[in-house]
Amino acid sequence: MSPRTSQEIRAAWMAQALKWGRPDAAPLAFIAIDLRDRPDHPDHRFDLTVAPGTTVVAIGDEDSGVGDLGGFALGLRQPVSGRAEVFGARIGQLPYYDLLLFRRRIGYHPVGDGLLQNLSLRDNVALPLRFASDHRQAEVDDRVNQLVDDFRLRAVATLRPAAANEEDRRRAAMARALALDPDLVVLEAPFDGLTGRAAQDLLDKVSRRDDGSRRAVFATVQDLVPSVRRMVDRVVKVADGSAVEEKP
Amino acid sequence: MTAVVAAIGRSGARRLSVLGGLARFALGAFRAAARLTRAGRWVTLRVLINQIRFTALQAIGLVTFLAAILSFLVISQTVRQLGRLGATDLIGTVIVVAVIRELGPLLTALIVVSRSGTAIAAEMATNRVMGEVTALEAMGIDPYIYLVLPRMLGAIVSVAALMIVFDGVALASGYFGAALSGMHFQRYTNIVLTTLSAKDVWLTVAKGVVFGSAVALFPSYHGLAVKAGPTEIPQAVTRGVVATIVAIFISSALFVVVAAG
Repeated sequence: MSPRTSQEIRAAWMAQALKWGRPDAAPLAFIAIDLRDRPDHPDHRFDLTVAPGTTVVAIGDEDSGVGDLGGFALGLRQPVSGRAEVFGARIGQLPYYDLLLFRRRIGYHPVGDGLLQNLSLRDNVALPLRFASDHRQAEVDDRVNQLVDDFRLRAVATLRPAAANEEDRRRAAMARALALDPDLVVLEAPFDGLTGRAAQDLLDKVSRRDDGSRRAVFATVQDLVPSVRRMVDRVVKVADGSAVEEKP
Repeated sequence: MTAVVAAIGRSGARRLSVLGGLARFALGAFRAAARLTRAGRWVTLRVLINQIRFTALQAIGLVTFLAAILSFLVISQTVRQLGRLGATDLIGTVIVVAVIRELGPLLTALIVVSRSGTAIAAEMATNRVMGEVTALEAMGIDPYIYLVLPRMLGAIVSVAALMIVFDGVALASGYFGAALSGMHFQRYTNIVLTTLSAKDVWLTVAKGVVFGSAVALFPSYHGLAVKAGPTEIPQAVTRGVVATIVAIFISSALFVVVAAG
């Protein structure tokens, strides 16, 4: 049996991940989600759809519930009412191991950075490729090298997260989120502590796919600097549990 | 009276629920092996080798020291007492049954629990508190594969290997204990080899697997069960280590029952 090519390997496990959802569905949709502790008013529901190839930012205060949206999108948390759909699949209802497989279509940057402290930045970037894909070791190394260069991590790649500065940690976390070239990226507070220029640079890298096309990006933030706001397709403010459209 | 019965029932139900959780956890860890990806296998192997280095290689000194002292004390005293009765031939039974079959595996497992069980529980609890477990799940990585499986395999290999080291050192040191009472090397060797059977070897291997699994599973389970925050980490370590020690003693007793059957 001849060895499979990288594209064949990726196609095989993507086919598994594509078992759920619909091909024509939006990458991400929040439907009638209750973001408040007391689900007491049917008018205050959060509805938002992230179209393919667009960058959407939800902005809100600490207690607005905006911080829960990323968890809902990944199926890490369940809303009190309403649902999150990713590529048409009700992600919160997938069985655990199917959910793990499905999440490989989504890049995720959690609040902080979520980097594993006992691994170097490089090994953190390699983690999804090693354990959540069926790539060969050489292919993993090639992809990691490409990401390390793209995100300008070469000089700090061998450092553990605690020894790297905040911007480098953020770059590594973003690179890790893009390791499997996902169709959708969910970012939680991705620009906190970064300069406007660094935030612009990272958002530009995150929103472009390997083939040059644009990927769907959904970010939750408490504040958005004007330079980054200009790069965004839609900004919605989370107010009193609902989404209010703002000018990008 | 009803309240007492209810309290006992609640406590029993809680313990049963923990046992059920542990059984699911153990099954999950074993099933994870089948889902390892190609590149993941290499990384797991690397983590496994590291785990064996920390768990087995770095514990060899302590195991050797304790095995030598324990065997020397037990054998020298026993030979002296049996010599008075003219029953020094029974020394083989003492070495094989008491030291090799029972005390060796038990002490080895306890050494590994005190060194590595605590480390595993603390590491898992820290991973949970720092959000690293959630990050793994969000990337589509099964935490069993990345966190539990290499530690469990590492603990099994390490405990089994350390038991062999313990037994070898105990046999050698036992000779020096026996020699103090005038026993010759040839006689000592004959007595030991006559008493030692294939069953003892299989029991040692089986104990290595069971104790090694316990050393990794209980601390991992209690470490990953942490929810509240960093203040829960020491409690998780204590729960994990105490549960492992109890499990090791209970399974040791079960081995005696099985071996007698």
